[in-house]
Amino acid sequence: MYVIQNGTLYTMDGQGVIQADLRVKDGKITQIGQGLSTEGAQVIDAAGKCVTPGFVDAHSHVGGIAGIGPNQEDLNEITNPLTPELDAYYGINPNDKIFDTVIRQGITTSCVAPGSANVVCGWVVAYKSAGKDRVVRRPVAMKGAMGINPKGCYSPKNLAPMTRMAIANLMRSYLRNVQEYMKKKADAGDDPAKQPPYDLGLEHGIPVLEKKIPLKVHSYMHDMMTLLEIAKEFDILVTVDHAQGASDYLEELNDPHIHGVIFGPTCEPLFPGEGGKLDYECCKGLDDEGVSVAVMTDGPVTTVNMLLFEMGECVRRGMDPVRALAMVTSNAAEIVGVSDRVGSLTVGKDADILIWSKLPTLAADAVLERVFIDGESVYQKEND
Amino acid sequence: MLIKNGRLHDGLGAVSCQDLRIGQGRILAIGKDLAPEQGEEVFDASGMEVFPGFVQPVSVWGINGSMTEIRPSSNDNDERSNPIMPELDGFYAFNGRAATYQQLGAFGLTCCGVAPADNNLFGGTIAMFCVDGVNPYKMCLKRGCGMMASVTPNLKKTYGSRQQAPMTRMWTFANFALQLRKASEYKEEEGKPKDDKLAALKQVVEGQLPLFVSCDSGASARQVWDILQDYPKIRLVLVNGFGLTGDEEWIVENKIPVIARYASNPLDEDAMTMDWKAMAKLSGQGVSVAFSGTYTNSMGAREDMLWNGIEMMKVLHDSEKVLPMLTSVPARIMGVDDITGSLREGLRADVVIWSANPLESYQAHIVRTYQAGQVIYQEGDAMKCM
Repeated sequence: MYVIQNGTLYTMDGQGVIQADLRVKDGKITQIGQGLSTEGAQVIDAAGKCVTPGFVDAHSHVGGIAGIGPNQEDLNEITNPLTPELDAYYGINPNDKIFDTVIRQGITTSCVAPGSANVVCGWVVAYKSAGKDRVVRRPVAMKGAMGINPKGCYSPKNLAPMTRMAIANLMRSYLRNVQEYMKKKADAGDDPAKQPPYDLGLEHGIPVLEKKIPLKVHSYMHDMMTLLEIAKEFDILVTVDHAQGASDYLEELNDPHIHGVIFGPTCEPLFPGEGGKLDYECCKGLDDEGVSVAVMTDGPVTTVNMLLFEMGECVRRGMDPVRALAMVTSNAAEIVGVSDRVGSLTVGKDADILIWSKLPTLAADAVLERVFIDGESVYQKEND
Repeated sequence: MLIKNGRLHDGLGAVSCQDLRIGQGRILAIGKDLAPEQGEEVFDASGMEVFPGFVQPVSVWGINGSMTEIRPSSNDNDERSNPIMPELDGFYAFNGRAATYQQLGAFGLTCCGVAPADNNLFGGTIAMFCVDGVNPYKMCLKRGCGMMASVTPNLKKTYGSRQQAPMTRMWTFANFALQLRKASEYKEEEGKPKDDKLAALKQVVEGQLPLFVSCDSGASARQVWDILQDYPKIRLVLVNGFGLTGDEEWIVENKIPVIARYASNPLDEDAMTMDWKAMAKLSGQGVSVAFSGTYTNSMGAREDMLWNGIEMMKVLHDSEKVLPMLTSVPARIMGVDDITGSLREGLRADVVIWSANPLESYQAHIVRTYQAGQVIYQEGDAMKCM
């Protein structure tokens, strides 16, 4: 048991920003308030420091890509554009040393998805960077992809999809098959003889059609409008991932079928096609519009220290620093579907806590000093 | 044009509240309470921070990559047909409109260097350009800023995978030494055909052209240095900074400049050894430390220079120590410090007016960017999209 004392707590829930103490016991936040008793508790002095929830990276591939080169990849099964039966959980190496880097960026939970080679890629898992029980929830989404990645993976093999036309059809056909599968199962009732043959890929789609998890789709620019059309047609929830160009569609994206928008990564120049617009300002626009927005690292292929820069660049374009922080805490947790466990400093939630020298979404030279996951100290800045 | 009441960061380590007069593309005067001349436009920069434009020394801006041509082709700075290509000129890789299209002025850059890729042992010379324009000849600040060389595993990856040399570091280092030896012995003789490769390297050996060597580790940097002991005139510049610890006395004693590149790819184990504290330590001992963008041919962000500076701020917490690493130091290493890279009278008016200090606050944004006295970006300008 310990008490983090006298910090400025960015709770990211209804409590707002408060000067208070925070008690951690058995891996959970058990008490928040002023002048908490420290009897029998270790004291961590956070006077003058900023205390935030651990960051939730709403879209990444950490632990599933071991290195550069062939056979290093465990999250892109580029053998069939429809692989809903797969599950990112099995692609993750929990001992991958990338998690040390991830922790140093303040990321305590990653939403680890299959890569975007396939139109329907498989289940997504919310995964902690350290600790005994790494899985926060599984599945949290079904991953899908539109645009250049599936086209680029299959057209050299002379296979579909070669075009955005075929991508829309493949995505539709899968969702329709799940619908029909569900209907057959319902019609069969209790009669095992009438049940359709078990199909793992279609089973994995049922929570999507039941709106229990979203379809999490790599979609840039106009692809997000195709995605919205499909979401309405099947009455499912979707998240718009990467989302560059979303500033062109702010009103359209304010739709009950859009569960959230996850912007990034942005460590790239403008490039033709879906990378032609790099509009950090869409985050403020979506936030103002009332659409839940988060940012992502997309690590480890791109730099995992992306989150701070993405939030910072949004602040540079007029976003409030605390709203920016929400994009990696409360919003991210809500979009990923793990807000009952993480994403805010709230009594009862997991003690995933960061201590910063300054507010990291405002002060460029803010330094991360401590990281706790499930109450355990997993990183401490070395003294200079 | 008079910029009044701003906080001027000269890029050399000093900051003061002064006025700055721009005319004929240059900084004409810097001083307190400069009076506007008749008809002179006055920009009130009260509460704003006036910076030199960032100088990105070894970048890939302006290079038409494989994704911007209608046919598949390698990047124009990446001639992968022979690992020994010192006779190439990076100037020809630069497409003015391609650089302009990225709107680098909106990210605080006014000058960038085009360097051959790290895939050849000797890749050719580096050229420095403005970031906004059309005609490369008009945009070029300097050709032949240095010879780009590489002893990184990129050589093995490029050629070894084709069953060609180099397949090993042994070849890389043997030929690094051998080519320099041949160049030192080379003489142009009448009646004999000129050897372009050796003639290019001769300039390196004679110290006319600095030798920029991309290294993947502290050990390989030291091996390069050991080979160079036979050639006292060679002016070495270490590129990447990977694996350096800050304890390299030979770098400090010989004042070898270091251009650190951003470790943007966590899967690149060499790049991930870039240590900001080590760079701060070297800089603190008088070594010229500059920053550049992303390593090798990966796509760089337009924010790379600023983000480099921010990472360094997390170590040094002093923007006047960090800013020179993004401006005057790279300008000096590239040999364009008499043209740009600091706020001094007589230099080109490459000036960026920020609403606040971007090395301190994310709320800082650019109000105006001048390249040679011309506004190339100002607040409110539409951002381009492809």
